[in-house]
Amino acid sequence: MTDDTTPMTDGGTDEEARTDGGPPATVPPDDETPTWTERKEHSSGLAQLTYQYFERSRREDEDLRAESTYVERDVLGFPTWPHETIRNLAITSFFVGIIVLIAALMPAHYGEPANPGSTPGIILPDWYLYWSFGLLKLNPINPSLEVLGGNIAISNEFLGITAHGIVFGAITLVPFLNKGGARRPVEQPFWAAVGVTGVVLSITLAALAIQNFFPISLDLLLTLTFMLPLVGGIITYAVLKTMREGYMYDLNRRYYMLRPPK
Amino acid sequence: MSLKKQDDMDHNAWLKNQDLTAIETAFLTTLIWLDKRLRIVDYLELLETMYYRANLQMPKSHTEQYDLDNKFWYWYPLYSLGSLSIIAYLVAAVSGALLGFYYSPSTAGAVAQGDPTAAYDSVVMIMTDVQFGYMLRSIHSWSAQFMVAAVFLHMLRVYFTGSYKEPREVNWILGVVLISLTLLFGFSGYVLPWKQLSFWAAQIGVEMALATPIVGEWAAQLLFGGFTLGQATLVRMYILHVFVLPFVVTGLIALHVGIVWVQGIAEPH
Repeated sequence: MTDDTTPMTDGGTDEEARTDGGPPATVPPDDETPTWTERKEHSSGLAQLTYQYFERSRREDEDLRAESTYVERDVLGFPTWPHETIRNLAITSFFVGIIVLIAALMPAHYGEPANPGSTPGIILPDWYLYWSFGLLKLNPINPSLEVLGGNIAISNEFLGITAHGIVFGAITLVPFLNKGGARRPVEQPFWAAVGVTGVVLSITLAALAIQNFFPISLDLLLTLTFMLPLVGGIITYAVLKTMREGYMYDLNRRYYMLRPPK
Repeated sequence: MSLKKQDDMDHNAWLKNQDLTAIETAFLTTLIWLDKRLRIVDYLELLETMYYRANLQMPKSHTEQYDLDNKFWYWYPLYSLGSLSIIAYLVAAVSGALLGFYYSPSTAGAVAQGDPTAAYDSVVMIMTDVQFGYMLRSIHSWSAQFMVAAVFLHMLRVYFTGSYKEPREVNWILGVVLISLTLLFGFSGYVLPWKQLSFWAAQIGVEMALATPIVGEWAAQLLFGGFTLGQATLVRMYILHVFVLPFVVTGLIALHVGIVWVQGIAEPH
């Protein structure tokens, strides 16, 4: 593109110093800058590990697809429009209608205005927080320690907060504790029993929260609060264990033949 | 090269040559007008994709596909609890936005202890003076109750069908976060009318926060605006209820549903 006859605008003659009209000024890659091939290969560090893992994962996916006997059919289902849409609209209108109907039949009310000076006899949150309120009323079981001369080690309020932490922590950990392919309660009687225990516990804790309304002693109520969930759990476990044989026979016959468990 | 405006495609002339009805002309004129400004044509592919998405076939669930459990159709309503909670959330959002026109988050106006405050008065005004105000507040309150109930039942359904198992652990944790935020939503809404029960429920909240070691006082100041309840508490609960939580919860719901979309529904086995 350039030759000696092309004059430089400043009248110079040194080709090395040419800044105008020269060949395209590409910067040659030095040793520091990775080439695009090198960048693509991710040949070092975490990038390399990521790249290698993704390659493995992709290969695994391809292998699984190749091995699979699953046949994709053209039409497997249910048209989104209009069938699914109409079904969803029907469910939505029914549900919203129920909300409006109940709102009309049982309007929300408002009580006395707030008065910081007088504590009401009964303090209650909405029903869905009764269980949480029940957890705050566990002070009778706050352990008193001999080493502290019979005093409690943690305050009653903090006991309630710890209980909340335990509840939320336990719920969060469920997927990491219960593993495996079992799905139905009959396939996993223990975890179904744990679930029923939790549900009954939330109900009995709600009862503990509104203890003023129960004409039974607090000791009995506390005992029931923790015994009823256990009883519920044990009954669930027993029932499911008993049902299990028949159910699993059915499952084996109809389901596992098609999709064997891992 | 001239500076004269080039117009190779005279769309208006083309429009005139066509034999079109009034509706078609109006439609095309609008389309051309918008396209000249917004280049809708660039997004046509996206629109096309959306069109085909809307006409997709829903895949049959494998229970249907393998004819596993025809007698179990009556479990299916339990699988709509997630969407029912979203619907209740939307109803609460709409009615809540309307209530926001009339509610004032202020404790002003109380001369002596126990006098009605501006917040309380505005709730009374909504219930007695505003046209259909009592209906609006009832719908808001009941849709909140329905939402919480649906969320609880949804969690139970997911638990008892083992739908939280691998690879859905992340969504389960997200669900635990969402249920906590739903409860916080309910709690902050319960405080807003500034009635006796609101006040003392908030009082218990402050006491719980203060009993927490290390972060307790900081949390009490952040959420309740101090260690005693007053104007600051009410405004914080209000902003939490109408600004912070709506954005956070809506975003998390979108993520929650998006993950379900990506991973597929855990089929009943």
